Amino acid sequence: MNTPEDFQKCVEAAARDPQNLGELANADAVGTAGSAACGDMIRLWIKFKEQSGKKVIDKATFQSFGCETAIAVASLATELIRGKTAEEVLAMSPEQLAPSLGPLPPVKIHCTQLVETALHSALQPQSAAKPVQVSAPAPSPSLVDKFTQPAHPGGQPKIIFKKS
Amino acid sequence: MSNSITPQSEMRQVLEMFPGAQRAVFRRYHIGGCASCGFQPDETLAGLCLRNNLDVAEVIRHIESSHQQDQEMQIAPAELAALREKGAVRLVDIRTREEFEAVRIEGAVLFSQTLMQEILGRWPREELVVIYDHIGRQSLDAAAYFLGHGFTNVRCLRGGLDAWSVEVDTKLPRYDLEYAT
Repeated sequence: MNTPEDFQKCVEAAARDPQNLGELANADAVGTAGSAACGDMIRLWIKFKEQSGKKVIDKATFQSFGCETAIAVASLATELIRGKTAEEVLAMSPEQLAPSLGPLPPVKIHCTQLVETALHSALQPQSAAKPVQVSAPAPSPSLVDKFTQPAHPGGQPKIIFKKS
Repeated sequence: MSNSITPQSEMRQVLEMFPGAQRAVFRRYHIGGCASCGFQPDETLAGLCLRNNLDVAEVIRHIESSHQQDQEMQIAPAELAALREKGAVRLVDIRTREEFEAVRIEGAVLFSQTLMQEILGRWPREELVVIYDHIGRQSLDAAAYFLGHGFTNVRCLRGGLDAWSVEVDTKLPRYDLEYAT
């Protein structure tokens, strides 16, 4: 069983030299998950090819912001799904996308779910697309809302310098 | 309302009792930072932990120590001034552009969506980053946000730019904000 230290080493190794990073020209499918505001956003590009009468993934690339674990998972997953059909990829669990990392700590499961969500977004027919639960909706102000949105709804404040 | 939280406490109650709880929860568990990892005010602590596969007792202990954690995130103006004399400190100003253009600490960069992506994507996670606002309220949330993203040395300026103007650089004018009613 992987220790937390083993996990961190695997993540750092995968994130240090990420595979398939960047936009893929002429991609057949694109999927996005997460929120740029959160920093945990992944976008995947997928190109298919015909192989033995089946349409399989020829190449997948990604862009990610922020989380090292999400980058590691996306790097490993984009390698792993090569040669698979869309149906085969959609049947994979988040844990199967980056098996070499071992079981993820609870706090990092969010990262594999992001990659899974982006894959579903890219590969699932729009009519059959189901929302993949990254987490529950949050009507509460998020942490990022608290420091990026105006503190007062009355518009821009006027700056009044104090007399020294 | 009791003065302690239990697994059945709703997140609304948790945040009322421990204003630093959201920062604490995001720093350690990456929950509550944005809409994709957030929670609902009527969600219980037990429900939140179950959904994220967390030990609720451990989470309660972590939240109960959140005030101390907030204290540790802050840096005093004099301490920041001393560090700036020794070497470069990345300074991030999260106030409005109007405030930034009116008065700022030399060398600070104005926070924006673009800068956030640059920080998350490119800034070394172990380097000291100090975030400041006007009076030191929102910068706690901002520092917790980046700590939750794996940055290990993010602090916020205690008392904000106003305290800096009083304690370090008295030439910087102090100001108030007046909102239209």
